[in-house]
Amino acid sequence: MVNDEARWVARASEGDAAAFRHLVEAHSSALYRVCARITGDKALAEDAVQEAFFNAYRHLREFDGRAAFSTWLHRIAVNAALEQMRKRNRVEAALPEGEEGNELIADAFESPPGPERHATSAELRRDIETQLARMSAIERAAFVLRHHEGQSLEDIAVTLSLSISASKQAIFRAVRKLRAVLEPVD
Amino acid sequence: MNTISDDDLVLYHYRDSLDARRLAEIEHALLASESLRERYASIERAMARVDALPAPEPDADFNRRLWRELEPRLRAPATIRRESWRERLHALHAWLSPPRLAFAAGACVLALAVGIGFYAGRRSAPTQALVAQTEADAAAARVLDAYVAAHLRATEGVLLTASNSDSTELLNGNRELAASLVEANRLYALAAARAGNTQLADFLRQLEPVLISLANPSESNPIKPSEGLRDYLHSTDLMFQVRATQARLDRAGAHRT
Repeated sequence: MVNDEARWVARASEGDAAAFRHLVEAHSSALYRVCARITGDKALAEDAVQEAFFNAYRHLREFDGRAAFSTWLHRIAVNAALEQMRKRNRVEAALPEGEEGNELIADAFESPPGPERHATSAELRRDIETQLARMSAIERAAFVLRHHEGQSLEDIAVTLSLSISASKQAIFRAVRKLRAVLEPVD
Repeated sequence: MNTISDDDLVLYHYRDSLDARRLAEIEHALLASESLRERYASIERAMARVDALPAPEPDADFNRRLWRELEPRLRAPATIRRESWRERLHALHAWLSPPRLAFAAGACVLALAVGIGFYAGRRSAPTQALVAQTEADAAAARVLDAYVAAHLRATEGVLLTASNSDSTELLNGNRELAASLVEANRLYALAAARAGNTQLADFLRQLEPVLISLANPSESNPIKPSEGLRDYLHSTDLMFQVRATQARLDRAGAHRT
């Protein structure tokens, strides 16, 4: 499987668009997930994924195979997501009050398990929205990479160009912010 | 007394960044202390709530839409090769054309880029044109990257001084430095934009108002703006972005060497 991917990468780096399309289709969903979690916005996530693949294509020859191709792509995607947020001046005000920024989380709750859980889910959704909005882009990214992507602190530090200590602190702050609103529900 | 903080418990939850001894200590403490168990359970519950949100998934048409947008961009010549050295030279030339823009760093960039391009052009026989162009292209990019990286290092220093120093003398000097960086920042943003590096250009444009405000602090109280800046830097990741962009440019420069 990995060798297969190495072959696709080699072909794509020679300019084979079909090979690159194969790589795009293999990794697009995973990149979308990480970008959507960081940006909290469908449109920004899609733009970030597109930029990530575009940048990856431009730099394919620089991919040296020391890390897995997916790891390399994820790093590019995380930075593309942060860049998208920065471009739209949303680094701090990550999610707006209005409906647009709430799309993702709203979508996540489109099929609630039942009426009795609906109110709780909506409440929880609002709580998490609020806390996500209060996180800085770096806190969100560090938390997403640690919690959802299962990356080690060392990898997070490399991806975000931070020290390990700064990565830890970003995660601690993110968890504190989430707990601040989630704990009182207990 | 070895206390266990909530941050330790977060690391314990992820089993990350704790050595075996510390893990064992926390495990024993959890067995021994009910209040610690409750604190840990609270963290676990918060994490479980986050996990309860379904993962965001792209819609069914996403791949088709993505490829439709991506494919034309991949076919553009600039995608595979770097921008032509003519483009970069033109960008640098345009950058320096207004007289007010002709300050020392810009002149150095132009002189180097033009010199390298001219040298490569003179040396290149028709069959060597592509090689010479690539060399000149890489050299021009390297020069620009190096200058912008140095500019960002200076900017980082100004931000740190402005946010950490309470010395009026230092702040006055820093204000002058910030004023000199405003113009340079504008030039580099222009150069980056004209060389096709919109990402860098956008970032530099974002820095400009910060530098302008540092160059023009309140006369009545030069200390208070420092506090404001400290808060601003603390609440945004501007410093991180400055360092990350600088590191990226350094890496890009090293890679081109």
